Amino acid sequence: MNSGKISTAAKQEQAWGYLMVAPTIIGLLILNVWPFIQTIYASFCEHLGFGHYKFIGLDNYINMFQDTDFWRATGNTLLFCILTVPVGIFLSLLVAILLNARVRFKGGFRTIFFLPMVCAPAAVTMVWRWIFNSEYGILNQIFGIRVAWVTDSRVALLSCAIVAIWSAIGYDAVLLLSGLQNISKSYYEASSIDGAGKITQFFKITLPMISPTLFVTMIMRLMTSLKVYDLIYMMVEETNPALTSVQSLIYLFYRESFVAGSRGSGSAIAVWTVLIIGIATVFQFIGQKKWVNYEV
Amino acid sequence: MHNKSMEGSKRISTVITYAALILGSVIMIFPFVWMILTSSKTVSESMQIPPTIFPSRLMTDNFSEALKSLPFINMYANTILMIIFRVIFAVFFSSMAGYAFAKLKFKGKNFLFSIVLMQMMLPSQIFIIPQYQMVAKLGFANTVAALVFPGLVSAFGTFFLRQAYLAIPEEVGEAAYLDGCNQWQTFTKIMFPLTRSSVAALTVFTAVFAYSDLMWPLVVNSDLNMMTLSSGLATLRGQFSTNFPVLMAGSLLAMLPMVILYLFFQKQFIEGIAMTGGK
Amino acid sequence: MKKISRITAIILVLLLLMFSLAGCGASDGKTHLTFQIWDVYQRPGMQAMCDAYTAQHPDVVIEVQATSWNEYWTKLEAAAESNTMPDIFWMHTNQLLYYADFGMLADVTHLYDDVDPDYYEKHFSEISINNASGSDGNLYGVPKDKDNGHLVYNKEMFDAAGVDYPDDDWTWDDLVSASEQIYNVTGKYGFMAYNDDQLGYWPFAYQAGGYILSEDKTTAGYTQPASVKGIEFYVGMQDYDWCPSQTYFTETTPATAFFSEVGSMYMEGNWNLPQLMENYPEMRGKWDIAKLPKCPDPLSGDGRATMSNGLCYSTAAHGKQLETALDVIRFFGTEEAQRIQGENGAAIPAYLGTEETWRSAFDSYDETLDLDIIFEQFDYAVQAVYNSASPKWKSQVLDQLTKVYAGEQDLMEGLENMQQIVDTETAKKLADE
Repeated sequence: MNSGKISTAAKQEQAWGYLMVAPTIIGLLILNVWPFIQTIYASFCEHLGFGHYKFIGLDNYINMFQDTDFWRATGNTLLFCILTVPVGIFLSLLVAILLNARVRFKGGFRTIFFLPMVCAPAAVTMVWRWIFNSEYGILNQIFGIRVAWVTDSRVALLSCAIVAIWSAIGYDAVLLLSGLQNISKSYYEASSIDGAGKITQFFKITLPMISPTLFVTMIMRLMTSLKVYDLIYMMVEETNPALTSVQSLIYLFYRESFVAGSRGSGSAIAVWTVLIIGIATVFQFIGQKKWVNYEV
Repeated sequence: MHNKSMEGSKRISTVITYAALILGSVIMIFPFVWMILTSSKTVSESMQIPPTIFPSRLMTDNFSEALKSLPFINMYANTILMIIFRVIFAVFFSSMAGYAFAKLKFKGKNFLFSIVLMQMMLPSQIFIIPQYQMVAKLGFANTVAALVFPGLVSAFGTFFLRQAYLAIPEEVGEAAYLDGCNQWQTFTKIMFPLTRSSVAALTVFTAVFAYSDLMWPLVVNSDLNMMTLSSGLATLRGQFSTNFPVLMAGSLLAMLPMVILYLFFQKQFIEGIAMTGGK
Repeated sequence: MKKISRITAIILVLLLLMFSLAGCGASDGKTHLTFQIWDVYQRPGMQAMCDAYTAQHPDVVIEVQATSWNEYWTKLEAAAESNTMPDIFWMHTNQLLYYADFGMLADVTHLYDDVDPDYYEKHFSEISINNASGSDGNLYGVPKDKDNGHLVYNKEMFDAAGVDYPDDDWTWDDLVSASEQIYNVTGKYGFMAYNDDQLGYWPFAYQAGGYILSEDKTTAGYTQPASVKGIEFYVGMQDYDWCPSQTYFTETTPATAFFSEVGSMYMEGNWNLPQLMENYPEMRGKWDIAKLPKCPDPLSGDGRATMSNGLCYSTAAHGKQLETALDVIRFFGTEEAQRIQGENGAAIPAYLGTEETWRSAFDSYDETLDLDIIFEQFDYAVQAVYNSASPKWKSQVLDQLTKVYAGEQDLMEGLENMQQIVDTETAKKLADE
C-alpha cells in the first residue's frame, strides 16, 4: 500500500519534472539542436545554392585541413584566447584586489571599470578604431609613434585583444571581487600574526579561496574568446590587409557561409570550432581538480 | 621604530593602490571622453595633425546628422521591448526548468540537462539562418516578436537558476510537501521567491546580452525602424564609413539610455553580475 | 491547479501581446506587399512610387523596407530557400544570374506584351536590359536605374596648386602630373587610388583596351596585355608619394579623406552624390565632378571607359501574391514611375528619356555640380562585369589584389591567380548547370 503511494507521488513528480522542463527543452531542440544537426549534415555536403545540398563525404574536411587560411584562423583564435584569458583575468584580478582594499570612492571606481559592459559593442569598436587610427588616431599622437594598430598584420590581433580585455575587465573584476569579499577577514588576521607577508597571504589564502570564482570566470571568458566574432568583425572588415592574421574561426565561418555562400565548408569550420570548445571545456574541468579548492 | 616603518610601508601601499586605480580608471574612461570630444568636431577638424583636443566649438551638427540617419526613437523602443520580453521569457521558463533539474527526479534528467550544457558551447552564428527561416515561415519577420525569438528559452538561464535551486536545502521542499503543497505550489510559493537575487542577476545578464546582440536583429529585421540600438549603430557605419565625428555622435546617442539606466541601478547591475559567478 | 491556469493565462497574454506587437493584423481585406531595398537614401523615392501606385489601386498596401547591403543578401537567400521572399525587391547584377538560373525569380520578359512586345528594347538601353537578363536570355527584372563612375576633385586645391580643372581631354598623364603638382604645392594627396573593382581598376583596364570578362562571360581577361597595362597603371599609382597606401584607406576611406580636405581627387559613383552634398554642408561649392581621364595610348579603342551598372525590380517566381507583385513592378517600369524615381533624386532612371529628371536631386542646393558629364559618360560606358559565378569569385579576386598591394606577390603573379580563380569558378558553375 505504502509503496504504491510513494510510486504515485514519484510518478507525479516525474510528470511535473517533464512538464516544467518541457518549454525549455522543446525550445532548445527547435532553436538550437536541430540547426546544429543540420550544420553537421551540411558539413558533409556541397551547397549548390538555396538550400540544395549534394553529399560529398569528407571532402570539406579534407579541403579545410589543407587550407592555410583555416589553420591561420585556428591559430588566431587560440592566440586570441591566450591574449585575452590569462592576461585579461590577471588584470581583472588585480583590479578586484585593488578594489577590495580599503579605498575611498570604491563605488565610483567600480562604476568606471564596469562601464564598457553596458555599451553597445558597435560603439566600443568604433571609438577604439578611431583611437587606433594610424594617421589621425590619438594613441599614436600621444606616444609619438606610427603603429598601424588595425592594419598591420603583426599587431592587429593584439589590438583586438586589447579592446576585448578593456570591454570585459570590469565584468570579470566584479565577479572576482564578489569572491574576494566572501573571504573571511579572520584568515588574514591569523596569518598576519604568524608573520606572513602580503605576497604569501595572496598565494596561501586569497588564491585558493577564490579559486572556484576564478574557475567560473575563466570558463566563461574562454568560451567567449573561442567564439569571438562580433568584435573582430567590427574592428577588421573584409578589405583590411591584415584580415588573414586576425580572422577567428567564426569569422572565417561567416565569410564562407554568408559571404561566399559555401555553406558546406562553412559548416565544417563550425563543427571544428565546436570540437575545440568541447575539448577546451573538458580540459578545464579536468584541470580544475588540480587547483580549484572547493573545501572552504 | 618598528611601528613607524610599518606605517610608512602602509602609506606607500595606499599610494600605489590609488595610483593604480586612477591610472586604470583613466584608461577605462578615456575612450568615452574621446568619443564625446570627437562627436563635436567637424571631419576636417578630427583629421588634423597634430590633433586638437577640444573641438573649436560645441557642434550639434553631427548629432542631428545621426538623428536624421537613424530612427532613434523607434530603436530605443524596440530595444526596450526586446529586453523586457526576453527577460520575462528567460526568467519564467528558466526558473521552471532550473527548479525541475535541481529538485525533481525524473527519467532522462541528465540527458536532458546535457542538451542545456551543449547549447552553451555552440556559437550562435550557426543558428542565424535556420532561425531566420523559422521566423519568416511563421510570418513575423521584421517585428519586435522576431527580435525576441532566439531568447524565448535560455540555456544559460536554466543552468544558472539550477545552481540557485541546488543551493536551497532539501528540507525546505520537504517541509512544503508536508504542508500539503503540490510540486507546482512548492515551486511558485516557496522555492521561486527564495531565488529572488538570482533572478535579479539573470535579469541583468539577459538584458546586457540582449542589448549587445548585433547580428540577429540585422538579419531578421529588414527595416531600420525595427532595429535595436546596437544593430542600428552598425548600419550607421555603413552609411558614414569612416566619418568618425558622426559615428561618435551616433554611438553616444545609442549608449545613453543604457548608461543612464546603469547609473541609476548600478547597485543591482553589479550585484547581479557578481551573482553569476556562482559558488 | 488554479495557479497553473493563472500562470498559463499570463503566458498566453504575453505571447498574444508579443504577436500583436508583431502587427500581423492584415485583416483590412487589402493586399499587403513588402518591398525590400538596401539603400536608406532611396527610400523616399521608392515610397513615392509606391504611393503613386496605391493611389490608383487603393486595395493594395506596399511597405518599403530598407536594410543594409550585407544582410540584404544573407536574408534574401535564406528567404528564397524557405519561399518567404519579399514580394518586390531590388536585384543587383552581381546576384541576378545566381537567383535567375536557380529559378528563384519570376520571368518578366512578356510583362508588357499587351502594350508593346518591344517595350524593353524601345525604352531601355542595351546595358540595362543585359543587367536584367538571365543566362537563358529572358528578363528577370524590370530595369530600375543606371549609374557610372566619375572623378571627384577639390577645386580649391587645384586653384592653390595652379592646375587647370580636369576637362574632357584629360589623360592618365594629366592625372599623374596634376596629382604631383597638388601634392608638391599644397601637401594634399593627389588622386586616391583605392583597391576596388567597379570604382577602381576595372575602368582603367577597359580604357587601355582590355577586358575583365570576355563578351560571352565565360573567360576572364586579366592577363590580356591591354588589361595588364590598365591595371598596372592603376595599381602603380600607389607607389607615388601623392597617393596614400591601401592600409590608409582601410582606416580612412577616399571619401572621408576627400571631404576632410586631406586629398584632392578620387573616383566616386554618381549614386553617392546626393548624400555627399547633404552630409558635408561645409564642403558645398568647394568640389566638382569630371569625366574619368582617358588612356593616352590604348592598345585598342579610343581610351575612354567607365563602368556602368544598374539595378532592377524583381519578384519571386513562386510568390504568394505574384499577380499583384507583377502588376506593381510593371508599373515601376513605366515612364511615370521612372520619372518619380528620378525627381526624388533616388537614382538615374533606366527609362530612356527620363534620365535627366535625376538632376532635381540637387535642386535644393545653391551650389552646382557639372552633372552633364555623367550623362555624357553613358555614351561609352561599359557594363559592370558579372557572370553567374560572380558571388564566388568577386571577393577572392579582391583578396588577390590586396596581396599585390601588400607586396606579398607581384602584379603579374596576382593577375594570373585572378585569371585562374575566375576561369575555374566560372567553369565549375557552367558544369553544374
